Amino acid sequence: MSNLIALTLRELKALWYSPIAYVVGALFLLMQGWVFWLILAVLNDPRMDPSWTMGQFFFGGTFFYWFSVLVTAPLLTMRTFSEEKRTGTLETLLTAPVTDTQVVLSKFLGAWIAYVLLWASTVVFFLALRRLTPFDWGPILTGYLGTWLVGAVVIAIGVLASSLTRNQVVAAVVAFVTLMLFFSLGLLDALVHEPQASETIRYLSLIEHLREFAKGILDTRPVAFYLTVTLACLFLTGRILGSPRGRS
Amino acid sequence: MFETAPMTPAIEIHGLTKRYEQLTALANISFDVAPGEIMGFLGPNGAGKTTALRILTGLLAPTAGSVRVDGLDVASASLQVRRRIGYLPEQVALYPELRVQEYLAYRAIIKGLAPKARRGRIQAVLEQCALTDVPRRLIGQLSKGYRQRVGLADCLLAEPKILILDEPTVGLDPHQIRQTRELIVALGRRSTILLSTHILPEVEMACQRVTIIHQGRIVAVDSPHRLRQRLAGARIIRVQLRADPAAAEAALKHLKGVARVSLQGHVDGGAAFEIEAAGDTDLREDIFRLAVEQRWILRELSQVQASLEDVFIHLTTTEDGGAT
Repeated sequence: MSNLIALTLRELKALWYSPIAYVVGALFLLMQGWVFWLILAVLNDPRMDPSWTMGQFFFGGTFFYWFSVLVTAPLLTMRTFSEEKRTGTLETLLTAPVTDTQVVLSKFLGAWIAYVLLWASTVVFFLALRRLTPFDWGPILTGYLGTWLVGAVVIAIGVLASSLTRNQVVAAVVAFVTLMLFFSLGLLDALVHEPQASETIRYLSLIEHLREFAKGILDTRPVAFYLTVTLACLFLTGRILGSPRGRS
Repeated sequence: MFETAPMTPAIEIHGLTKRYEQLTALANISFDVAPGEIMGFLGPNGAGKTTALRILTGLLAPTAGSVRVDGLDVASASLQVRRRIGYLPEQVALYPELRVQEYLAYRAIIKGLAPKARRGRIQAVLEQCALTDVPRRLIGQLSKGYRQRVGLADCLLAEPKILILDEPTVGLDPHQIRQTRELIVALGRRSTILLSTHILPEVEMACQRVTIIHQGRIVAVDSPHRLRQRLAGARIIRVQLRADPAAAEAALKHLKGVARVSLQGHVDGGAAFEIEAAGDTDLREDIFRLAVEQRWILRELSQVQASLEDVFIHLTTTEDGGAT
């Protein structure tokens, strides 16, 4: 356990000391602030459907949300394995008495914690809004929960991509394209007419899930789905790390 | 599990083979390193040294053969083996964003040092590796020599029984090379060391035995001294005389125990020869007596010692690589 904590802290330090994290963090906050303001403006429009809430827009309701999720994940994960392979520190790491599982988990946790903190910082917008108008915290909390769970999936995919190459840019591109394909699965719904297939697709649709979360509905099915995909990606990463090519 | 009897070799390599798709990096390598021994591991670039060390540290899996460290199988007891080994890779790769002390503290945790022991061990290795003036410096800003020593400090952190050093002095300045060698010799008093290098004076200075590999095969395992002797099995004597070259050559050839005489050149009124002895006999006194008899004036009479470099070149340039 102390290994896992030490390794995860090393990951967070690597992010903390790198310019990428600051650039990503600053632009992320700038964009979220701008989007929050836009949503407020839209909601204040008297022609707006009054059943819509802030949370429904903010979590998964706009293009900007998905853009943030799908772009930050590759940026946070691209260096995890690639950089260590390129510089050769992976050799030093893997010849220390640490298990491959600990290494994979620490890479995942480091990037995921950064992602969670990034989104957690947007709570200030809601705190500011609270001073002006009352609203229900419930859907906001499930919105965050959904965002963090989706985060686990996208970060795990990013870590997997990074374990495949020693080039950070390649890792980021592979992760981004994979995430776009994964995300677009839900869009296939519009193309199929068979109810059975449609239901399956909706079960895989990230947009559909977030819509539920943002309404304050905590369904265990998407939660199970996210955890499964996350664990599958991390398992694959471990297998790659265990193969001769993955170790140098 | 076979437990560590007193005479268990520190490192036991048996029939080790590593094949890549087309290339055989290691072909049936076997050798032992006794506890407390400093074993030199020599070979030209690309001979398979680094591959062998990576298998030894559990980083790579062998195609065939077994490797035991301190009686433990590297494949099945990888973690225990890694706890016993301090490995300094060829390319010492460190995290540039960490400070020296911070890095060592991190390594101390993942190497499983007890919390109470950490501070003391870090201080000890900083002193051992002459890093006491830079504990707060960022690793990324350190010179190559310092970074090499940070790598070595990390390697010593958990007081491993076995040190595996892959070219520890590459890229250091002469002063640092000397310090590092002295440190290796000092460390050799307490631990077993497998020292991979192609710098021969290093081997001569530190190692009790040497394993030479070439094209993935072992070509020699012996002490540096015996290796030199083996090549110099035919001893070479250099003679310079003032005499008629042709007559001198003929007379020398008739001397008992001489295998070959070669005229090296004429030097003002005399000649220089290289004489190869047939067996392990010292011909110098015979040659001296002959010179007195023949009234030659002797200018030089010396026995040439083959250097370890000669041995190395001899063993690793033959086409089949097979002088054994």
